Amino acid sequence: MIELNHVSKSYPGKKALSDVSLRLPQGEIVGLFGENGAGKTTLIKCILGLLPHSGSITLDGAPITRRNIARLSFATSEHSFFPNLNAEAHAGFYAAHFPDFSRKRFDGLMRFFELPRYKALRSFSTGQKNQFEVILALCQGADYIFMDEPFAGNDVFNREDFYKVLLGVLEPNETVLLSTHLIEEVSGFIGRAVLIRKGKIVGDVSMSELEESGEDLMGYIKQTYHYHADRVSRALDEITGEEE
Amino acid sequence: MKRPDLSRLAPPGFGLRTELQLFGTGSALAVLYSARYPVRFIRARRDVILALQRGLTPEMPDFCSLIDGVLLGFALLAACMLLAAAAHYLYHLQGSKSIYLMRRLPSRWELHRRCLTLPVLGAALCLVVSALLLLLYLGIYRLFTPEILQTPLQWQKLWSVLL
Repeated sequence: MIELNHVSKSYPGKKALSDVSLRLPQGEIVGLFGENGAGKTTLIKCILGLLPHSGSITLDGAPITRRNIARLSFATSEHSFFPNLNAEAHAGFYAAHFPDFSRKRFDGLMRFFELPRYKALRSFSTGQKNQFEVILALCQGADYIFMDEPFAGNDVFNREDFYKVLLGVLEPNETVLLSTHLIEEVSGFIGRAVLIRKGKIVGDVSMSELEESGEDLMGYIKQTYHYHADRVSRALDEITGEEE
Repeated sequence: MKRPDLSRLAPPGFGLRTELQLFGTGSALAVLYSARYPVRFIRARRDVILALQRGLTPEMPDFCSLIDGVLLGFALLAACMLLAAAAHYLYHLQGSKSIYLMRRLPSRWELHRRCLTLPVLGAALCLVVSALLLLLYLGIYRLFTPEILQTPLQWQKLWSVLL
């Protein structure tokens, strides 16, 4: 289990995370939702040790260090592959550094997405780059897979395929933390939703709890965010309304 | 003989060939620049021999004054290795953020190994070639300076200048 206790992170002039405490048990697919700048990316980067922070983050009770970092993988919309290398070279690099790298899963996903193996990644389309980024994260052999807006730039069919594959390939012990704005698309397969706003966790609910209460995820998020349904019509009235 | 695979010592996918070509060109220019020494030596030797023939009592310039600045090209090339190291680190931010991958590898030193090894080797090579050229030029000075004009303690004088 990954456990965050009182994690805070500040950038000059801005508090990005404020006293965040969160538990991520193994075997869950968790959606992380929040508006732009809410702190989703910062939270993930803190867990991965990419950003200094205060508070503690542990993996099965031990701090996350080089000893256990291979149990965490990361797919980001910024991409973390080497643009000048081809897919096969990446597989070699991952196999050399991550002992549990799954060549079988890599080959299967490469075939499924029909990605070229011997073409430098810089020549891939944005959608293909995203797919490859996710493939690497899924094949690293990690127990915890962090995905930060992995589908930015992918079309809806592409994403649909990906969700199916994700559900199909994940082992019961693999945990996914998926940060995305595509709330309705992912609501069908996540098991839990975590809401973050202005660096604070403002909501944490399992999908089964939501089902029992008869509420849908979008409704829950709007309610938690105090979203005013008449906001748009009021704004339009103000903009288009005649002056008195 | 099998050529060593230097790509394992550089950032993955980095333009190693271009970097090696640049280093080779820089080295060649540094060696050319150091050829100022033989030119200076030949002129100094000719001048003192002419002076001797005129019955004067000339003095052969010290080795350290003839070698002064001659190895500057290698010093500059070694300094360029700092830029190469910086370019290696910056490479991980170009086109993607591969720095994220490198920073979360189980091997703590992989990023630094790939960014620093070749620049350090390059700087070391500059130092070794400079030292070899220094010895060669000192040998030339000793062998081809007329014995009557040789002054002692050339090596010590050189060290006093270097240190």
